[in-house]
Amino acid sequence: MNALPDTDTAPVVLEADNLKRHYSVKRGWFEPAATVKALDGASFTVRAGRTLAVVGESGCGKSTLARALTLIEPPTEGRLLYDGRDVAHATRDDLKALRRAVQMVFQNPYGSLNPRAKVSAILEEPLVINTDLSRPERRERALAMMAKVGLRPEMADRYPHMFSGGQRQRIAIARALMLSPRVVVADEPVSALDVSVQAQVLNLMMDLQEELGLAYVFISHDLSVVRHIADEIMVMYLGRPVEIGAKETVFARPRHPYTRALLAAMPRVRREGALAEPLKGELPSPLNPPPGCPFHKRCPFARPNCAVDVPELRPVDGRLAACHYAEEIPG
Amino acid sequence: MPLLDIKNLSVEFATRAGTFRAVDGIDLTIEPGEVVGIVGESGSGKSVTSLAAMGLIAHNGKVLADRMSFDGRDLLGLSDRERRQLNGKDIAMVFQEPMTSLNPCFTVGFQLSETLALHEGLRGAELKRRCVELLEQVGIPAPETRLDAFPHQLSGGMNQRVMIAIAIACNPRLLIADEPTTALDVTIQKQILDLLVDLQRRRGMALMLITHDMGVVAETAHRVLVMYAGQVVEDRPAADLFRDPRHPYTRALLDALPERAVGRRRLPTIPGVVPGISDRPPGCLFNPRCAYALDACRQGRPPLLPDGSGAVRCIRKDEIGEAA
Repeated sequence: MNALPDTDTAPVVLEADNLKRHYSVKRGWFEPAATVKALDGASFTVRAGRTLAVVGESGCGKSTLARALTLIEPPTEGRLLYDGRDVAHATRDDLKALRRAVQMVFQNPYGSLNPRAKVSAILEEPLVINTDLSRPERRERALAMMAKVGLRPEMADRYPHMFSGGQRQRIAIARALMLSPRVVVADEPVSALDVSVQAQVLNLMMDLQEELGLAYVFISHDLSVVRHIADEIMVMYLGRPVEIGAKETVFARPRHPYTRALLAAMPRVRREGALAEPLKGELPSPLNPPPGCPFHKRCPFARPNCAVDVPELRPVDGRLAACHYAEEIPG
Repeated sequence: MPLLDIKNLSVEFATRAGTFRAVDGIDLTIEPGEVVGIVGESGSGKSVTSLAAMGLIAHNGKVLADRMSFDGRDLLGLSDRERRQLNGKDIAMVFQEPMTSLNPCFTVGFQLSETLALHEGLRGAELKRRCVELLEQVGIPAPETRLDAFPHQLSGGMNQRVMIAIAIACNPRLLIADEPTTALDVTIQKQILDLLVDLQRRRGMALMLITHDMGVVAETAHRVLVMYAGQVVEDRPAADLFRDPRHPYTRALLDALPERAVGRRRLPTIPGVVPGISDRPPGCLFNPRCAYALDACRQGRPPLLPDGSGAVRCIRKDEIGEAA
């Protein structure tokens, strides 16, 4: 997919090619069902030990992408390859193995942990389902994982409500790592946390990545967090990637007007340079996307043909951008 | 004379584990037209402070204060009836979750006109005209048609605009906004913040902005109060605070921001968590997490002392300022 020269030598663990996920929604008894293109053609690769950050507003298809990547839902169209193996042609047993290789950390640590299960039970459950380990072996692995994420052994017999938000997110991360996955999909893992705790969890995630060579798909709307943790960044708008590239390249000079607006909208303690004008309007309904470039109605640089022609991702200035006038966007 | 003048405010809740002091001796003044930011982590008492100012503390809570006045009028002795006349008219509030603070059973037009009918006595065509005008002011497109919409038919950003329209309907002199943008997307957050600041400027309204987001405060507030475990630990003009934070907690909060750590792999963190109901330490409340703590910090609560353009609650404030 990539028209750009690739210098990274880390092995590719996950490859998505024109991934689509459409939903059919009923609008009423007599109306024909409509199609929501929640995810409409995403192509990217994720390498071992690297982080791909997926950025965009709610409704842009971030979470649909997460569901497709974690094999919770099959893609409507397109190919998804783990270690070069196509998920679409996988047998049931293959899929079972694949699901162990890709795990997920959810946004809200208050909702994602069973309030009636002790931490040890939460951590051991993946082992009960997927392995033949004995009870003492499972316990041992759970305790080892707890130590790795910075939880004390006596916490194994406590319930989730006895922990703070940051500690709960540590538990959720530990649970995701129990089956030694290669890819972890993290859906807004720190956005429910306070700044100081957020920093602790981000540090933990980066340490674990280094130690275990994990690949992260890090879904977030917070660009300052993304700037810190990502290697590559993919900005999505209405189900489509609009800009993909190395973090430094994209942050230094965004080439899509939407990326530029997102960067400008980020509240900052220190503001460098002049502000870009705030974006007008809201994300259009995915039931009824505008013709042409999906962003043209909110775009300050839109020209007449933007309402007609759909821009494709193309290489611009060291990254991929989907804008007819990417070269002319001021930095 | 300050618009809102609070001296030594404490709020206590009776719980099964004993009395919990959520807010512990806070002084807060807001001048007319001033934007005051209150920042702190969850559990620091910022929301309880705002609820106390609104008179919305639940029955199990006790509000104690030496003085609490709004525009020279004593707030502590108000009857419920007087309070209802003040709330929504002179003091208004915007809450964090627009989806849960609007009533799902009524149209936004009804909820907006309720305030106007009650406080301004408007009726009929005049009432409707004013509602449309307000929705227009907060930037809602096609306001006439939106009056008949229910909250679930609007997006989060639109609902927050409706909340703001309700709050500013009677030209309040003080608007309290409790995490007004936390539930919203970043581009919408920017729009809402710009709207609040614009309204504040045009109407000369005072704004109390409660948030955990340092970036939001830095871009909007004139003066900032940093709260920790129910106390104000630092109070100073926003520009000074972000240039030269004097309390170790303020400093640590700013350092933990990813935007300040560009180029560094690991983020500086604050170990531990905000002390809760049963584990408040002796001495300075921040001392177990503080990088500068001495033995003296574990003895006796440090007072909030004037320092340069503001005030700081730290016995080592002068050394810390110099260390920067």
